[in-house]
Formats: sequence, structure tokens, C-alpha cells
Amino acid sequence: MVPRPAPRLGDLERDVMDRLWDSERPLLVRDVHSLLRAERDLAYTTVMTVLDRLTRKGIVSRTLEGRAYRYSPVRSRAELTAEVMHEALSVDRLDRTAALVRFAERVSQEEAATLREALRRVEQRERP
Amino acid sequence: MTPLLLGTLGLALAGPVPAVLGRSTWLLRAPRAGVVLWQSLALAAVLAALGSGLSTTVWLASPQPPDNWRWALPVVALGMTLVVATRLAWSVARVALDTRARRRHHRVLVDVLGGRSGDEPALRILAEDTPVAYCLPAVRNARVVLSQGALARLDDEGLAAVMAHEGAHVRARHDLVLEAFTALRDAFPWGTRSELPLRQSALLVEMLADDVARSRVGAAPLARALVVLADRPGPDGTLAAGAEARSVSLRLDRLAQPQRPHRLASLSAYSAAAVVLVVPTVLVAVPWLVHTWGLLH
Repeated sequence: MVPRPAPRLGDLERDVMDRLWDSERPLLVRDVHSLLRAERDLAYTTVMTVLDRLTRKGIVSRTLEGRAYRYSPVRSRAELTAEVMHEALSVDRLDRTAALVRFAERVSQEEAATLREALRRVEQRERP
Repeated sequence: MTPLLLGTLGLALAGPVPAVLGRSTWLLRAPRAGVVLWQSLALAAVLAALGSGLSTTVWLASPQPPDNWRWALPVVALGMTLVVATRLAWSVARVALDTRARRRHHRVLVDVLGGRSGDEPALRILAEDTPVAYCLPAVRNARVVLSQGALARLDDEGLAAVMAHEGAHVRARHDLVLEAFTALRDAFPWGTRSELPLRQSALLVEMLADDVARSRVGAAPLARALVVLADRPGPDGTLAAGAEARSVSLRLDRLAQPQRPHRLASLSAYSAAAVVLVVPTVLVAVPWLVHTWGLLH
């Protein structure tokens, strides 16, 4: 199977982003920490590290307020989803870099009929 | 003669030879050997182009300077060589950096947007109805991305087939093969470049990944997964056309055949790969090396 990616921190990043997206105003590390603590035991410094990582990745921005940073998403969940789907659906993959490797290209109705015919041949062969 | 021979050889290997090979179907029976053959053709084309320029330089510097009119062609060959060498270096670096940057950015996005599945740690599930299924290759941190729409169309066997297929891409670093062919295509000057090596090797690595998935889950579940994901709803303008659309069909035809090695096709491809690299070197480069050696002594 596909090798296991580094766990924990990645999952936590997603949870932190969810809190930032759901909030109407920019949040302090303390705010995020107390929101997440409702579900699990987490160190304050861990939340700080995650917010710092998200900032360096460019999807979270922070502004200094007094002596603490307030964090907010650079773009909305819908905007990021649209970007991902746009890239996933673009068909000119041979004209650009092979960043994404697709499982199967989308085909027309006529082509699909040919494919279903070929599928029947595969299934017939497998049958004893 | 050497510069001309090598120049002609370089052009032939960059254009007409891939065109002929791309139309033949016997290579599809031996995908692994096929990828090697495409790679050796590419390498031979680059070596011929570089050799042509080098030999031109030596020829122009020889004690008996050639006639005026005989200058022209070697100089053109030398120019082409410089163009190809510069563009190749530039293209390799640009494609490598571009691909990695795009992948890294895309991975960050699917990691914060995508749902997780306990059984498959590398799987990210997008909450979208439009079916999409792809992988983001990497040494570590590879991801397989499916949308809810795609997941809904697959049964457990189908999902296992997709994961085995994508896992094969990731482990065998098929992306590096495609990256090299992308860089190579961009390196040849416009008019001498061909889409075919990239297109054909893309098809061959899909078949290699299919072979792995097939030995894990069987041909039928993989074939069903291919059909439901190829025949999917999507926005206008996202339909694959021509060779791209035909690739799923060729993969299904392969799944309808028994899974056994085609020794003759493999042997032919490997032999052709060796010939294409060795014969020009021996026939063209060795006499030239001897000649150059003679000039220096």
C-alpha cells in the first residue's frame, strides 16, 4: 500500500484549520487551545507550533495585537476546495508538470460504452 | 561526416522514430521493457545531439579547414546542440522545481481539507460530489486523494484496487519517469519535439501499476473501478480527448488478456534499447575518437 505519512501533526493541522474557519474573528493561540481541549488533551505549545507551521505554509496569517498574535485563515474553505478541484479536474496534464497522477481520465459517453464492453470481456474471462 | 551523421541521428531519434514506435502496439505487451526502450531512445537522442556539436567543434578546428559551403551544416548542427544542451539543463531544473512546488502546495491543501480513513493513512477524502481520484507522488508523504463522489462509486474491492494501483506508482517512483520525459520534450526546439515519448511512457507506467493492482485484487475489480471512474460526471471541458481517452480503453484490453510475461516483446524491446545506445556509439563515435586522437598526436 501507500507508505504511511507522518501522523499526528497533520491531523492536528486540519483540526486547527477547522476551528479558524468556523470562527468569525481571528483567534489567539489560547482560544484555539481551549476550543481543542474540549475534545482532547493538548499542550499549549503544541497548538502554538501548529499555528506557526500553518503560517509558514501560507494558509494562515497572523496580526500582532498587544503582545499576542491573532490567527485567521488566508482563504476560506470553499476557496481552497475550489482550487484543489480545479487542479484535480484540469485536463491539460501533459502540457504541464506531472504533479498529479490521475487514476483514469474522464471519457465521453461513446467511449464509455466501449469501456463497458471491454469490462464485460474482463468479467467473462474471470468467471470459471 | 561525423557531425552530420550524429545530427541526423539525433533528429531521427527525436521525431520519426518515436512516431513509428508510438503507433505500434507490441510494446504495450511488455510495459517495463517498453519504458526502458523509450528511455534509451531519449538518451540516445540527447547523446547524438551533444556528440554532433562536439564533433563539429573538433572538425572546424582540424588542420585542413573545410570548404566554405561545407561549413554551413555543421555550424547548424553545433547551434542545435548548444540549444538542446542549454534547454535540457534549464528544462530539467524547471520541471523538477515546478512539480515539487505544485505538489507540496497541493498536499498542504488536501491535508487541511481532506477527511481521513482509519484503514488507509495516506488517503484524503474531499467532501465533493464530483468524482476525482489521483495521487500525489513523493518519497515520504505521498497522498491518494478521492472525492466523496468517487468513493461512493467504488465498492471495497474497487477502493482496494485504486489504492494498490496508486501505491505502485508511489513505490516505483513512476512520477520520476514522467518528469524526465516532460523535461526532455520541453528541451527540444519547437518543430523537432514530440509528445509521443511522454504520452506513451505515461500509458506504460499506468499499465505497470495496473499489473500490481491486478495481482493484489484481481482483474475484474480493477477493471470495474477504471470504468466507473472514467465514465463519471464532471464539468464541461474536462473530458479527455484522443490518445488520453484511448488510454483507459487500452488498459482494459490488457486486463482482458491473461496476465503473463510476453517474452518476445520484452526481449525485442530490451534488444532495441541496447542497439539504439550501443550501435551509434560504436559506428560513429569510435572512428571520430580515433580521428581526434590522431589530430592530437
